[in-house]
Amino acid sequence: MALFEIGNLTFSYAASGMRKALENVSLRVEQGEYIVLCGTSGSGKTTLLRHLKSVLTPAGKRSGSITFQGVPLEQVSPGEQAAKIGYVMQNPDDQIVTDKVWHELAFGLESLGCDQKTMRARVAEMACYFGIQDWFHRDVASLSGGQKQLLNLASIMAMHPQVLILDEPTSQLDPIAASDFLNTVRKINLELGTTVIITEHRLEDIFPYADRAVVMEDGHIIGSDTPRNIGKNLWERKSRMFAAMPTPVRVFYGSGSGGECPLTVREGRSWLSRSFPDGAAVNALPGHSLPEELEQPAIALKELWFRYEKDSPDVLRGVSAEIAAGSIHAIVGGNGAGKSTTLKAICGICRPYRGKVKLFGQPIGKYKSTQLFHGMLAMLPQDPKSLFVANTVREELAEMTEDVQRQQQIGALCQITHLLDSHPYDLSGGEQQRVALAKVLLTEPRLLLLDEPTKGIDSIFKEELARILCRLKEQGVTTLMVSHDVEFCARYADAVSMFFDGQILTTDTPRRFFGNNSFYTTAANRMSRHVFSMAVTAEDVVTLFRENRHE
Amino acid sequence: MKRDAFSCCHPAVNFLFFVGAFCMMIAHPAYVAAGMAAAISYRLLLGARTGGKLVLTLLPVAALIALINPLINTGGKTILFAVFGRPYTREALCYGAALAGMLLSMLLWFSCYNLVMTGDKFTSLFGNLIPTLSLLLVMVLRLVPLLFRKGKQISGARCAIGKGAGEDAPLARRLREGLSMLGCLTTWALEGSVTTADSMRSRGYGTARRTGFAVYTMTGADWICMGILGALLAVVGVSVACGAATAQYTPDWYIAPIAPLSFGAYCLYLLTPTFLQLKETVTWHFLRSGI
Repeated sequence: MALFEIGNLTFSYAASGMRKALENVSLRVEQGEYIVLCGTSGSGKTTLLRHLKSVLTPAGKRSGSITFQGVPLEQVSPGEQAAKIGYVMQNPDDQIVTDKVWHELAFGLESLGCDQKTMRARVAEMACYFGIQDWFHRDVASLSGGQKQLLNLASIMAMHPQVLILDEPTSQLDPIAASDFLNTVRKINLELGTTVIITEHRLEDIFPYADRAVVMEDGHIIGSDTPRNIGKNLWERKSRMFAAMPTPVRVFYGSGSGGECPLTVREGRSWLSRSFPDGAAVNALPGHSLPEELEQPAIALKELWFRYEKDSPDVLRGVSAEIAAGSIHAIVGGNGAGKSTTLKAICGICRPYRGKVKLFGQPIGKYKSTQLFHGMLAMLPQDPKSLFVANTVREELAEMTEDVQRQQQIGALCQITHLLDSHPYDLSGGEQQRVALAKVLLTEPRLLLLDEPTKGIDSIFKEELARILCRLKEQGVTTLMVSHDVEFCARYADAVSMFFDGQILTTDTPRRFFGNNSFYTTAANRMSRHVFSMAVTAEDVVTLFRENRHE
Repeated sequence: MKRDAFSCCHPAVNFLFFVGAFCMMIAHPAYVAAGMAAAISYRLLLGARTGGKLVLTLLPVAALIALINPLINTGGKTILFAVFGRPYTREALCYGAALAGMLLSMLLWFSCYNLVMTGDKFTSLFGNLIPTLSLLLVMVLRLVPLLFRKGKQISGARCAIGKGAGEDAPLARRLREGLSMLGCLTTWALEGSVTTADSMRSRGYGTARRTGFAVYTMTGADWICMGILGALLAVVGVSVACGAATAQYTPDWYIAPIAPLSFGAYCLYLLTPTFLQLKETVTWHFLRSGI
């Protein structure tokens, strides 16, 4: 008997009129399966997942059937659904209800009215399984994002669910915390046999291990097959979703090879070895190095030192850097290393107690604050929601300037003209990001600072963001971004700096920077470094592959 | 704050003690003095630096109250001198001193209560009696710091697009900016609370009668402690009701002689936390020297 059986589900939201969010969706989920649900933002993934639990089902017009273990879902009692169907959402913070870790772990069991003895046993068990013992008595507020999301998962697992539904659980986490989390989910599936249905932007980490990948587009399921076949299928259809596939898949089809497609970096490496048994004749792309000294850097940082409290440790420990005017510069580095603090120091939100910040050769203190933030400098915060104050996108833009023509220009640049009458909170993550960017750009900055611009947005929105950044570069805007997203930086930045231990350690072109790293680098580089040198993006590898084949 | 022996007892013991300490405010001078001594000693144990500061600020306030009382209350026989033509009497002064002493102990006990009875202890104690209310309390406790952090984030973000209003900005601009920020924060919080509600219902909230997970369990020592405190409380209660600690200051004073049983029980009760800590220190001292 199947765990879930969805038959011809059609659904439209109450407010959206005729537009169908789901159309004729049929899906069978077997016990113990690991299913990855992929699709662009707005393709109906979340809507579908929410239908699998009655209390989360959105209001609207619906037809079709959903059964859980052979019983129509609406006849399964709420208590049974709560215990058997676990649901993890996107935002780690908002999902947490109580203030203590132990209380959060017990929350579900308390709600189900468990007795003290069962509750103690289950909570202890979960705390051990997830390695929570050490922070069992801590305040929830003192946890990192990754720990919070792990806590959410553990508190659901305490109820012993048969299926775990995860809706983009790692979109707000940094890559290391994200892969930790996804490994835990995989471990649960392998060791406990819990069925997993997951949607993710970061397919690299989960796609190869899934039993089945289901692809959605505009509310339809357009494919449901093994990951390998789905990769092939998307390539043949020329689907936009192909851009989200793991690097080895993109390289394989991009190079036009035949045979079995590699899914992981390991498979990709052996595939390349087999393709070039005697090594490659052309093994590097032409690269240039950065000039030693810049004539007129847009931003010059000299020995910045900063700490948040008098007795707390230094966050910035002598940061020095020069950012070339008219370039896209990326700073990468670990979590909590002080990358965001550096941005705050540049715009004067944090004042360094030692060191100098110069913008276009002038110390930042010389600029008046009105001058500084109008036409000179602006920062896009990590969470775009912190910029939203109005009820429609149009009002948001109007808050920044009264010049309607300028609003339209920027709106067109950021591709938000069709969203002008929506409420900012009704938009998807990628759309919110672009509205926030439009607000920032309306201050006409010559220097644009971006804090984790690709956090929580899918690969297609990332490409659109990159397009906007390149347009801005043509207009002479200097962009400085801090990011965890190695792949994005490798592909679009002109220069990359490594931030470590409160300092900027090295700066180089992305090709030389990532090409010389062996761990902190892109999947494309890890996959191809034994054959090609300094190939850091999927495109690089494909180009080199084809050049070698033409000979 | 370092954990002391009494804080490690079961919340029920802690709660019983503080209820008793608040109720046993007796105006008899000996009891007032003993109460003050006990409150000061325990508060200092909980944190010598912060406790010392608190005591040093409260003592002058108490003295002031004692001195002011005779200006308002002119009852009493023995006139010391006259202020603005009103008698300033010795009895009223003593009564003021007793009141001030009680107030001082009350405030100190309250400060101890805050340090010992943390939010989670309170809710774990009453979670089973009033599950919904205690959950509400926990959620509010979590929400307040969260909103503060988000507020800070918003003001930082707005500052970086030139929208923040600094200290020197005109009042009207600062007001407008404050309103915008508040709007942003409210929408954000509402959005978050929808997710929280989903997360609660998704984990079975409202499907059955809630139970409470107890991280604290009553140990044998806790039961003994509870028994002793209860017995002492009963002794003091009964003897006070029988007039063992009657004290009258104005117009004529009458102060009952100290009843050893009642006074002893009173002192023992209030010194329990201090004793427990001393006992632990001594035990550890010997344990360590034994190693």
